[in-house]
Amino acid sequence: MKAVITMWKNTRMIILVAVCAAIYAAALLAFKTAIPLIPGITEVRVANIFPMVFSLLFGPAAAWGSAIGNLIGDIFGGTLGLGSIFGFIGNFLLGYLPYAMWTTLKPIADGKRELALGNWRSWVLYVILALVSSAACGVVIAMWLEVLGLVPYPVLVSIITINDTVGSLIGGLLLLAVYGVVRRQLRLIWWEVMELEDIGKPAAGVLGAWLVVAGALVGWILGAYVLSGQALVIGIITTILILVGAFLM
Amino acid sequence: MNIFLYLDENTWFHRLDPRTKIIGVLLLFGIVMVFNHPLYMAAVALGLVLLGATAKALPNFWRMRYILALLVVFSTVLWPFFAKGPTPLWSWGRLEVSRESLMYAVAMGLRLASFVAAGLIFLSITTNEEFTQGLIRLGLPYPVAFAFSTALRLVPTFAGAGATIVQAQISRGLDVESGNIFQRAGKFIPLGVPLFIYAVRHTNMLAMALESKGFNPGAPRTWYLNPQMRRADYLALALLTVAFLAALFLRLQGYGQVLPRL
Repeated sequence: MKAVITMWKNTRMIILVAVCAAIYAAALLAFKTAIPLIPGITEVRVANIFPMVFSLLFGPAAAWGSAIGNLIGDIFGGTLGLGSIFGFIGNFLLGYLPYAMWTTLKPIADGKRELALGNWRSWVLYVILALVSSAACGVVIAMWLEVLGLVPYPVLVSIITINDTVGSLIGGLLLLAVYGVVRRQLRLIWWEVMELEDIGKPAAGVLGAWLVVAGALVGWILGAYVLSGQALVIGIITTILILVGAFLM
Repeated sequence: MNIFLYLDENTWFHRLDPRTKIIGVLLLFGIVMVFNHPLYMAAVALGLVLLGATAKALPNFWRMRYILALLVVFSTVLWPFFAKGPTPLWSWGRLEVSRESLMYAVAMGLRLASFVAAGLIFLSITTNEEFTQGLIRLGLPYPVAFAFSTALRLVPTFAGAGATIVQAQISRGLDVESGNIFQRAGKFIPLGVPLFIYAVRHTNMLAMALESKGFNPGAPRTWYLNPQMRRADYLALALLTVAFLAALFLRLQGYGQVLPRL
């Protein structure tokens, strides 16, 4: 979590936040009506191919960029409201969890920041992180919108989780296409842009990662399909688990 | 493409300090949250339409009319099956609709539309620069505000580039409108890659331009835009606070509630 705060000292990271936010918001607007699921509420968010790719390339800048980008999408889309607060937090997690869990979700993760894109183990981890970060985002946003009385939790948590997971999985193709350019030509990979002492080492990263996995999957499956009558309670408990886990990383 | 919702008018609302506008819209959100009875929510929604008319924000309401209507319809259709009430109207297996859940559903539809309406009024009377300045004056750290305002400025550029890329790829034969959902979503990769590269190439140039001008995220700053709180700002905040507290008092007395939940 330290890098999320210390990155604000670094000019390139600040610009990356702005660029990530602008790409995400622009894609949200440009492709908004491409494939509607529930007209006016949600669509297949083509823009969701970006947050996980941003996360693995730009680290903490992607977390803030995804959060701010979603907020700007709400502003320009005319849907700014109280729901935007947890939209901000949910999208922050969507950009934060993949890079934070890439090194901490042991034993699946090998602890190295470098993306070994030719290694099948990396892709297994990629798929797991796509699902977990999407479910975490879905649980947090759906819990809040249920509290506000806007959309029922069991409906929204599944829509967001599936929507974001599909986007992140398709984003794998984007990652393959742009990784070399960002790493070698533009030299903007996050752990080389930031100072080593600013990145820090999480004290309980592995515990945090598994708390997030438990919170995200239990919150989604139990809240949406098994105990939907108790969805709000499940949503609140699992949101706390996710936030504590994210903080420990 | 014009994606901005700001309407350049000279109203009392437009002249308010950005801090007043931000705190004011939060108080409006608070008022929207208080009731869950459709009649009370209709009164709140009507109040917001009147506010929108006074702020000359109705063109944006008209621009968003389909979304506003769909929000009401979607919520009204969905909520009866999830909120439980004591007076059953219809049941089929585990599905049950009660009189109270139906009323709650209508109220939630109006609440959702009222949220959007309050946000639209705010966006119609506030420029991006005022919004950023207001956030800074309310305590947002400057680097965060800088990233936010830079992103706001870059969005139209990137959205325009995105639209151009879509047209260019379609002219090369990319068919984005056939196939199932997954196939269609996958076809956006040829659109996402050029947009991504186009945008990220800006990063190094922007960073160098800023550093060459001595940009320091933590340094104290002076401002070109220097808004001041005036009597009208305090009056607006006082009125909205009284309205919010009055609504809260009514709800605590048992008015405006169809189900015992938020």
